[in-house]
Amino acid sequence: MSELDTQIRKFQKELSAGTVSLALLAVLAAASEPMYGYQIAKRLEREGEGVLSGKQSALYPVLRNLSAAGLLDSHVEPSASGPPRRYYRITAAGQGVLHEWTIAWRATRDSVDSVLEGLTHERA
Amino acid sequence: MNAPDLASRSSASASAPASSFVAPTSIPDYLDRLRRALAGADPALVQDALYDAEEYLRSELAENPGKSEAEVIAAVASSYGAPDEVAEIYRDTEVTVQTALRAPPAPPRKSILGRFFGVAAEPRTYAALFYMLLSLATGIFYFTWVVTGASLSAGLAVLIIGIPFVILFLGSVRVLALVEGRLVEVMLGERMPRRPLYSGRGKPWLERIKDMFTDPRTWGTLLYMLLMLPLGITYFTIAVTLLSVSVSFIAAPLLVWFGDVTTDLQMDGWQVLNFNGYDLTTSLQGWELPFLLVAGVLLLFVTLHVARGIGHLHGQLAKNLLVKSSQYD
Repeated sequence: MSELDTQIRKFQKELSAGTVSLALLAVLAAASEPMYGYQIAKRLEREGEGVLSGKQSALYPVLRNLSAAGLLDSHVEPSASGPPRRYYRITAAGQGVLHEWTIAWRATRDSVDSVLEGLTHERA
Repeated sequence: MNAPDLASRSSASASAPASSFVAPTSIPDYLDRLRRALAGADPALVQDALYDAEEYLRSELAENPGKSEAEVIAAVASSYGAPDEVAEIYRDTEVTVQTALRAPPAPPRKSILGRFFGVAAEPRTYAALFYMLLSLATGIFYFTWVVTGASLSAGLAVLIIGIPFVILFLGSVRVLALVEGRLVEVMLGERMPRRPLYSGRGKPWLERIKDMFTDPRTWGTLLYMLLMLPLGITYFTIAVTLLSVSVSFIAAPLLVWFGDVTTDLQMDGWQVLNFNGYDLTTSLQGWELPFLLVAGVLLLFVTLHVARGIGHLHGQLAKNLLVKSSQYD
């Protein structure tokens, strides 16, 4: 693996550490009914690269921790195809946190964008 | 890939030299690889990782009815991750997400005094104390459940219904183990599995029943539940005794100074605080009271430390008997 690849991977990993939580909350806030791990993974997969440039197995521990923090509610239902599935739904606390995180995310995105724009102007 | 990743990856493949080169072809095979790649990790994390992987793989298989198991697994390596990658992700994510989401731990207090009194500011202390009180109830329940179940199993063994009864009983014990695991994690802070282990999925049901009997965890859990009665009684007694002694040591001087308590009165023996039907009395003399107050406060904090210590030891015991045994086979 080249030095550049290593740097890209490392950056993606650091970037996804916080944004995956945000993306999961957003997906569950938009969902009309509770979703289980696999469904959520597939839903995010459709959004393409970006947050999910890593592997989908990374989502499960995050779901569990969001649930432990009270941002998600969960219940188990038996399934015909495998072990009982755990369904997640966003809580009121989760909605509140999502709102704050969204504001924080937009502010970060805008400021990073404007810094990056300065870079392209300088180059040009 | 940074250096620690490389290290963990090479150690994972070193323990299973063949697995890194040949892709797994079945779900049990995949889970087996994952278990080996996670060798040495927290057993509770291993159990959760296996559960999550199984849910994903089974769902993927159900979504693609046309494909064979081997094809689905090959496709999954790029979306969900190969066993080695998944193992690495779980090791990493557990650490980063926990530090990101949990409240930051208070900086450790430097001074001996700070450490001694700081214990009162930590929520975990009270959770452990509460666990000690609760363990009397749970201990009696577990003990009764196991003794009743075991003796009914033995008694019914000669009849046809004995066999399904034993199986149901052992199944119920495994559910209780998971419940107790949650209690221990929430109150004592020891990481325990959050999902049951579906090791036998895909095997014929007779095979799965056999696994339940040969799984050391089943027997570990039974032992744990029997132990919970004496332990529960001990924890409860220690907590109640220490708490009531220290609280009455603190209350007696305060009541003398700010309330209406007669001092230096012996009634049927020596008492710290006694209610004789009309008023409160104490056998202590006035000059002894400040010392009693100091002793009471110190004893109260000692109690909190004892609760922390017992909580920690019990967490280790629970982990060893409920989860540890068969993780690395």
